Amino acid sequence: KKKFPQGSLRYSLHKQAEATLHSGVDLRAAVKLPNNESFDDWIAVHTVDFFNRINLMYGTIADVCTEESCPTMSGGPKYEYLWQDGIDYKKPTRLPAPRYMQLLMDWIEVRINDENIFPSCTTVPFPKDFRQTCKKILTRLFRVFVHIYIHHFDRLVELGAEPHANTLYKHFYFFITEHNMVSSKELEALKEMTERLLESGQNRRLRHM
Amino acid sequence: MGDVSQPEITQFMRDKANRSRIAIESYYANSVRQCVERENRAKKLEEEITAKGLSEKEKEESRQDQHAKETDFLRLKRTRLTVTDFESLKVIGRGAFGEVRLVQKHDTGHIYAMKILRKAEMLEKEQTAHVRAERDILSEADCEWVVKMYYSFQDLINLYLVMEFLPGGDMMTLLIKKDTLSEEATQFYIAEAALAIQFIHNLDFIHRDIKPDNLLLDARGHIKLSDFGLCTGLKKVHRTEHYRNWPSQLPPDFVSKPFESKRKAETWKKYRRAFAYSTVGTPDYIAPEVFQPNGYTKSCDWWSLGVIMYEMLIGYPPFCSETPQETYRKVVNWQQTLIFPPEQPISVDAKATIKRFCCEADRRMGQNNGLEEIKQCPFFKRIDWNHIRERPAPIKIEIRSIDDTQHFDEFPDSNPAWPIMETPAVKPENAPGQRGEFVDFTYKRFDGLTQKARY
Ligand SMILES: Nc1ncnc2c1ncn2[C@@H]1O[C@H](COP(=O)(O)OP(=O)(O)OP(=O)(O)O)[C@@H](O)[C@H]1O
Repeated sequence: KKKFPQGSLRYSLHKQAEATLHSGVDLRAAVKLPNNESFDDWIAVHTVDFFNRINLMYGTIADVCTEESCPTMSGGPKYEYLWQDGIDYKKPTRLPAPRYMQLLMDWIEVRINDENIFPSCTTVPFPKDFRQTCKKILTRLFRVFVHIYIHHFDRLVELGAEPHANTLYKHFYFFITEHNMVSSKELEALKEMTERLLESGQNRRLRHM
Repeated sequence: MGDVSQPEITQFMRDKANRSRIAIESYYANSVRQCVERENRAKKLEEEITAKGLSEKEKEESRQDQHAKETDFLRLKRTRLTVTDFESLKVIGRGAFGEVRLVQKHDTGHIYAMKILRKAEMLEKEQTAHVRAERDILSEADCEWVVKMYYSFQDLINLYLVMEFLPGGDMMTLLIKKDTLSEEATQFYIAEAALAIQFIHNLDFIHRDIKPDNLLLDARGHIKLSDFGLCTGLKKVHRTEHYRNWPSQLPPDFVSKPFESKRKAETWKKYRRAFAYSTVGTPDYIAPEVFQPNGYTKSCDWWSLGVIMYEMLIGYPPFCSETPQETYRKVVNWQQTLIFPPEQPISVDAKATIKRFCCEADRRMGQNNGLEEIKQCPFFKRIDWNHIRERPAPIKIEIRSIDDTQHFDEFPDSNPAWPIMETPAVKPENAPGQRGEFVDFTYKRFDGLTQKARY
């Protein structure tokens, strides 16, 4: 028995509108590493910022993302994400989406608060595997988008948070692709929607000219 | 299928979503600003090194320096400041919702004033909007008339605003110390306060609670405005309701007994500090229309300035009384109660100016054209409005070191050390503000890193 209405994926992607915030930032340019900036510091500050905002966004729809509505952490019929953290969940485990989200957010928070992983003092170097850690964090954050867009998009619209989510997603997408942080296979889950969103941004720009 | 239809959106979720939307919008608004600022810093550096005629090698060194600072700033933006990053040196002020401390940042050694506000109390009094107002205006305003804010952060219990420390103390303390000010000194301070008020009006902000406690003095004795509708705003709301039910008629037997001004000034000064520290505060400086249901405009701040001017010249504010209730009655009946005591003569121009400030809102000086009207006033004819801040202040502030607190009250009962907080008494999920009321409160300023102490 499917817990989400058939075709909700297509439905959402189709309806996925083009509204974004008119903040005036060229997000694509804004994610580029500035001249002479330290790459690790650039990645670090963005990872923390994305975590905070994506967490906030999930919070707005958290009341409709329940064990009943979302018994698995899915992205439509095609994708399901299993949780594994090597400690409490040694094997990939199927979990209800809200539980998965909770574990995911906690897992990230522990990392970004760890001075050995995200050093705050300029004299402390980043660990060797820092980039790897961030890739993992950002990949998991991408899954939050997948779940929200495919299963809770209507709610975002109802709350007037759609332009916010779109802007955030675009910014996130530009960042991870600019710096190769998430594999393209992973990105397939929202491929169609991403194209539409980028295209609509472009059209708007053209129309303005 | 039941799960297709969405459950109703509760008010709680709507509020939460609104706060998140605001947080995301302000994130993107800030990030535009920060991009522009970074570019400007680079441009400015290039201009500077060109103007200085440095050699190529020296130029490159300056650039490297700047890059290092930018990287530090990125780290700072990401790190969570906590109180433990600061050493608490002394309690220097107390307000309705917390206290102000002199602190030193461990890593840089810079000195700041830190305002600490208890979240639980802010929530209880529904003042979270005011905290945001204060944070917003302090972080937006980059100007010599407003106290500069460097950081804001929070923990489970408190909100923290880390501001520049103004070693000159506040105008209230100065007025308690001096009986009255000369007309010349009054012209100076009122003119500076007017410039500060006009500045925040230009940001579309109404202060509503201008009073001597909020006029701080910098190391050179010049005025800066602090306290934006935060605790005072909160007190005000508190107050408005508080006073609304009181009779606004003067008691029939009211006689404006001209009791000797010297004694009045003494009584006033005796109670003054207690007023400043109490939650209810004193309505002495608040414009009468602020108490009325019909609303008020920016010009209510000009009324307050008139009251302060009266106090500077006469030694106590015009409506001061033994109780706040009585003061309130006098304010709303100002037509009968605004009296100039004959034993404290002041110039014709000064009296006329006070009366132009303290009058009906629609006739008030500043009502139509703000500061421009005030500049026309003969009382200020000697003021050089464009250079006032560069001129010497009429009262010199003596400061022995960057952390000198001689111009502040002593709070002998307070412990300068941070209260012990190993394990917070509240579980994080039950902590005040977990519903997101204080989302996006955190702020950091670039020159928080690079500023040099300017004493
Ligand atoms: N930046 C600063 N530098 C030096 N002293 C300060 C600074 N900010 C505040 N103070 C001192 O602390 C006192 C209380 O500060 P403030 O008025 O901001 O607190 P408050 O809680 O808003 O109190 P109230 O609501 O009664 O005005 C001020 O009157 C002043 O003496």
